[in-house]
Amino acid sequence: MGSFPKIAFEKELHRKYLNRFLHGQIPSYLANMDTTRSVLMYFCIAGLDILNEIDHIPQERKDQMIEWVYSLQVSNNKELVSGFQGSTTMNTREVPSNEMPYEWGHIATTYSCLLTLLILEDDLSRVNRKEIIRSLKALQLEDGSFTAAIQGAESDMRFVFCAASISYILNDWSGIDVDKMVEFILKSISYDGGIGQGPNLESHCGSTFCAIASLSLSDNLHRLSSQQFLNLRRWLLLRLDTGFNGRPNKPTDTCYSFWTGGALKILEAYQFIDSEQNPNFVLMTQDKYGGFSKWVNSTADPMHTYFGLAGLSLMDYGGLNEMFPKLNCTRRVHERLVILHTQWK
Amino acid sequence: MSESTESSSDEGDSQRVLYKNRPEWQDITPLKQDDGDYPVVAIDYTLEFQDCFDYFRAIVHKKEYSERALELTQTAASYNAANFTVWQYRREILKALDKDLHEELKYIEKVILKQTKNYQVWHHRKVLVEWLKDPSKEKYFTEKALSKDAKNYHAWQHRQWVIKTFDLFDGELDYVEQLLKDDVKNNSAWNQRYFVVNNTTGFTEDVLSREIQFTLEKILELQDNESAWNYLRGLLLHDKTGLSRNKTVTEFCESLYKDGSRSPFLLALIVDMCSERAAEDGAGDGNNLYTVARAMELCNSLATNYDTIRAKYWEYTAETIEKQSKGEVVDEASSSTN
Repeated sequence: MGSFPKIAFEKELHRKYLNRFLHGQIPSYLANMDTTRSVLMYFCIAGLDILNEIDHIPQERKDQMIEWVYSLQVSNNKELVSGFQGSTTMNTREVPSNEMPYEWGHIATTYSCLLTLLILEDDLSRVNRKEIIRSLKALQLEDGSFTAAIQGAESDMRFVFCAASISYILNDWSGIDVDKMVEFILKSISYDGGIGQGPNLESHCGSTFCAIASLSLSDNLHRLSSQQFLNLRRWLLLRLDTGFNGRPNKPTDTCYSFWTGGALKILEAYQFIDSEQNPNFVLMTQDKYGGFSKWVNSTADPMHTYFGLAGLSLMDYGGLNEMFPKLNCTRRVHERLVILHTQWK
Repeated sequence: MSESTESSSDEGDSQRVLYKNRPEWQDITPLKQDDGDYPVVAIDYTLEFQDCFDYFRAIVHKKEYSERALELTQTAASYNAANFTVWQYRREILKALDKDLHEELKYIEKVILKQTKNYQVWHHRKVLVEWLKDPSKEKYFTEKALSKDAKNYHAWQHRQWVIKTFDLFDGELDYVEQLLKDDVKNNSAWNQRYFVVNNTTGFTEDVLSREIQFTLEKILELQDNESAWNYLRGLLLHDKTGLSRNKTVTEFCESLYKDGSRSPFLLALIVDMCSERAAEDGAGDGNNLYTVARAMELCNSLATNYDTIRAKYWEYTAETIEKQSKGEVVDEASSSTN
């Protein structure tokens, strides 16, 4: 193994980058992120958490941010649409919140909002837990997979993970037919050992992470046969090139340092790789103005910044906060969640 | 991240008249967005964006299903095609006005081809095809998308759905073969090949030997091609005799090895063949090539020469196989499973 030039890890620049997105004005050409602002917020807050910066946010600003997240919560208890919206796009002062059509929770943004609240040290006491779980039930399809909202959304492994995470966070699995969910996951295992977004679809590290994490969160990893388990490990380990890629014969990409790395951690196989190039690849995707991008020499974005940091943390690089991979948050946030669970009993 | 919105004449652009200045919208009171007192991740919306969504909120609240509302959703989608509410509302209008859905297909085709990685626009198309029960344009359409990026997951997902739902498997193997001629490393095409065979003929003995032949030829074209080796393993799942007793495959591997190939994929397959035999009672027949000793040797050369970034994994694999051959319990994680 040759040695590689040391690339500086620009923590301070990343902190500034994430704070610019959080508190500044995002340029108008990114208006196509309008409906997923809460996901964007989650990437920023979660990234700052990995950088151990949450304690440096003034309490007043934390409270404001918590309020903003709660303004996304759907308070309609008549229909099965509870959860969090992705953005304030449909919010208006003239119309009471439950009179606006399409004010529906979205499973991915509900997941992001719950984690954001946890990271900001909210105790989730204002979360409509029962209704969210009741609504979750309406989103599971016949094949065991989940759709994202009561109408108008697609269904795949991403939303299985969101459903499992929401159930785990709220400590209530009554909204999921877990056997059906497991069946869907097992059916999505491909001939090459990896897992696709659904049956027949190509193996992909994003969907593989979602699948394995859902099994782990629901205490069902043992449902994998030992052959499936070994094949998954092999397939995931082979994703390592100069960095991690997401599918065979695809280029390495910063975000897979988490998706692939996290899946390997859950399967207790991360220790089998030993590569100086791996952190180096991620560091090479740093933008000179802060943030990480998908590839070397391309533009940074909050999503790749978060996953770059999360990936480096899995590599135990740079003194970052340790991850709790299956929930896609830091260990300290998970520890707080466990305390909340005991309080809810 | 989704791609940024591109404007074009058919989707409207900066020359568009603001809704608040349009006579046909005078009866509507626009509804301002309430982003709270202290917004987070605020977007510096353009005037046009704000204007459009102010009227969008108002018309949605009125639940108006009209031509002007339909036009408005098109503008809204041009600013943010990832807004699934816009598409949901648009579909309801299309239904209510009994619009020509073939026209809508043409429109969404243009939108998708400009942002081929946007979930919402693909979903819109899927719903239209379901409503029309007409999949006739889908194969050609997905081929257009795949000609821009032959590994686009959305396009493959849509194509598989159409093929499966409407039984359009005919000709698909030829298409896959063409893509593999263009790029033998296209993993999506290999996956599609498996999908087609699995859902049509299945892996009968004849099909299996045909597919093995096909794959071995592709491996000869390019040995360091994980996709082809993975496909080969997928095929061997259907061989009742296991990984290591298909003569065509073992002879092929042995001849590659003799000719000096040390592709990690080749070595890994031989290791797995050895591992399979080691797990069998009595360790197989006398002239068995697939011994524990060979597995150890190959793991060692993978670890030290041919796949060094996974050295620890190959060392661990060697240990596991050795233990297995001695009948010891292996791997804390997998021993509890199965």
